[in-house]
Amino acid sequence: MVSTVTNTDVKQKDVDQAVVVAVTFAAVFEPETEDGSSIYRLGVALPLVQVLQRVNERLLEKNPAEHQLFDVILITTESWQQQQNSSIINSTRHHGLEVGRFCFSTEEDYIESLMQNNVQLFLTTDGNEALQATQQGVPSALLDTNWVSCPSEQLRVLFCEKAIFQLNMGSTEASKKSAQNFLAHLGQMKQKFGVFDSPLCFTLVTSHGGKDNCCCALKSLRSLGVSVDEAYCLGGAPRGPILSLLRPHFLLSDGFSLLEG
Amino acid sequence: NKKTNKQKTFYYPKPENSITIAVSSRVLFNMDKEQQIFEQQGMEEYIKYQVAHETEPFSPGPAFSFVKALEAVNTQLRDLYPESEELFDVVLITNNHAYVGLRLINTINHHQLFIERFCMTGGNSPIGYLTAYNTNLYLSSDPVKVREALEQGIAAATMFTQEKMTEVSETQLRVAFDGDAVLFSDESEQIYKAHGLDKFFEHEKAHENKPLDHGPLKGFLEVLGKLQKKFYAKGQRMDCPVRTYLVTARSAASSGARALKTLRSWGLEIDEALFLAGAPKGPILEKIRPHIFFDDQMFHVEGAAEMGTVACHVPYGIAQRVPERKGLKDKEVSSIK
Repeated sequence: MVSTVTNTDVKQKDVDQAVVVAVTFAAVFEPETEDGSSIYRLGVALPLVQVLQRVNERLLEKNPAEHQLFDVILITTESWQQQQNSSIINSTRHHGLEVGRFCFSTEEDYIESLMQNNVQLFLTTDGNEALQATQQGVPSALLDTNWVSCPSEQLRVLFCEKAIFQLNMGSTEASKKSAQNFLAHLGQMKQKFGVFDSPLCFTLVTSHGGKDNCCCALKSLRSLGVSVDEAYCLGGAPRGPILSLLRPHFLLSDGFSLLEG
Repeated sequence: NKKTNKQKTFYYPKPENSITIAVSSRVLFNMDKEQQIFEQQGMEEYIKYQVAHETEPFSPGPAFSFVKALEAVNTQLRDLYPESEELFDVVLITNNHAYVGLRLINTINHHQLFIERFCMTGGNSPIGYLTAYNTNLYLSSDPVKVREALEQGIAAATMFTQEKMTEVSETQLRVAFDGDAVLFSDESEQIYKAHGLDKFFEHEKAHENKPLDHGPLKGFLEVLGKLQKKFYAKGQRMDCPVRTYLVTARSAASSGARALKTLRSWGLEIDEALFLAGAPKGPILEKIRPHIFFDDQMFHVEGAAEMGTVACHVPYGIAQRVPERKGLKDKEVSSIK
């Protein structure tokens, strides 16, 4: 059974206008607590959670009445995690993370929880979870533990036409629509800033197909109101080196197949 | 890695197999007008202008005929070696934001250039990309980036807009190199700067049998040599589609031998070596008509450009730190010393 708990330490976001991003427990925290306490150590998603917070701060600096902010929720996806609910809440508050609420669910019902909470992007370190969520219509992105990004003032999102796992399984009409909505939100947030010193950086990387394929993707993103900063058309060259250079916080591709030419 | 395009089939060569030539947008095309808008009216106006003119192609820049010649060589290589990935692979590098880049892609299509890779860095340095993807040569209008590339061991040169660009061959690629501080290190050039041309000639003759250390463009000459051998293997020695030239202030009588012996010790050949003994390079280059000429001294670059040769500057070695010595006059100066 899913339970949702508000984090009273954090000011709640506007239900209609906020962009809800769910991050799994396993991404935010290490599975073990700090010695002798019930506080969990921070995991790979820390820089991401911090940068989402930074984007919110910058948006509020521009407009103190801004409602189109990231609303970060922490979700558990396994029973044992669900049972650790108090420790998780305490750990989050101890580390001062800007997590608006907690969804304590299990492997059976976490997807239902995502949908109930109107999650527009689900971030996880587990490939299966990402795949299943996408299949059910929730846009997802896999956080790669290999390229953990450093603390950053800028959220770096990378669009690519092929996922880390196979693209063909998963995209439904519903997930495509949700993906488009999420992209439109990102685009609107970015528009509030100028070209220089923006807290949001969008990059497109196409590995296969030629330049015309890449340009198609650029134009699709443009039509959604997403301003792309950098674009790399690799023309068959391997993706690894450029990804290590760019160090995005996450990649968007599954459910984002609308970018294909 | 195959792409079918109406009549032809292209392979995208793997970076480790191909010869990667990275060219910046401002040397491939003429973007002077747009550059002025950026400098005078700022980024937002510049982007607006570019997007508004998105379907208007740019006209060719200084690197354009070089890139066309690379493609001509590729065509001939594909005829002789249809399965090989040892081809030139041209990558467009631009500092521009991605949407401004669309105008560049439209221009590439308009001029029918075969460039399938590009890198739009949105203001970041491209150096990381260049090192990650085995770049053999980088051409840019920005001397800062060129220096960065040289520091990373990538052959690089700064190109400039030229008023005059004489007609060059469409079938034979011709590349001309200065010797010291380009193919060779600047060790001997240091002698020239400190003591003048005569002392330089003396020193070189004395050290004739000691190979010079390598310079930043040695690797590029090497890859050109590899391609030449592929043509020779198919009987095309006399009429090779790739031809290389050494155009140096060294003198045939004294310092020239050390240059040739060094090349030989590296296992490299150069088709024509022109020893000018300090004379200006412009006139001889005008006769050779290379698609590109590399020199470490702006004096020579400008001299060549005045006469219509596409010349680029390799900002390497002692010449960048010590004020210019200007050709023939030096002979008089050094003898007064």
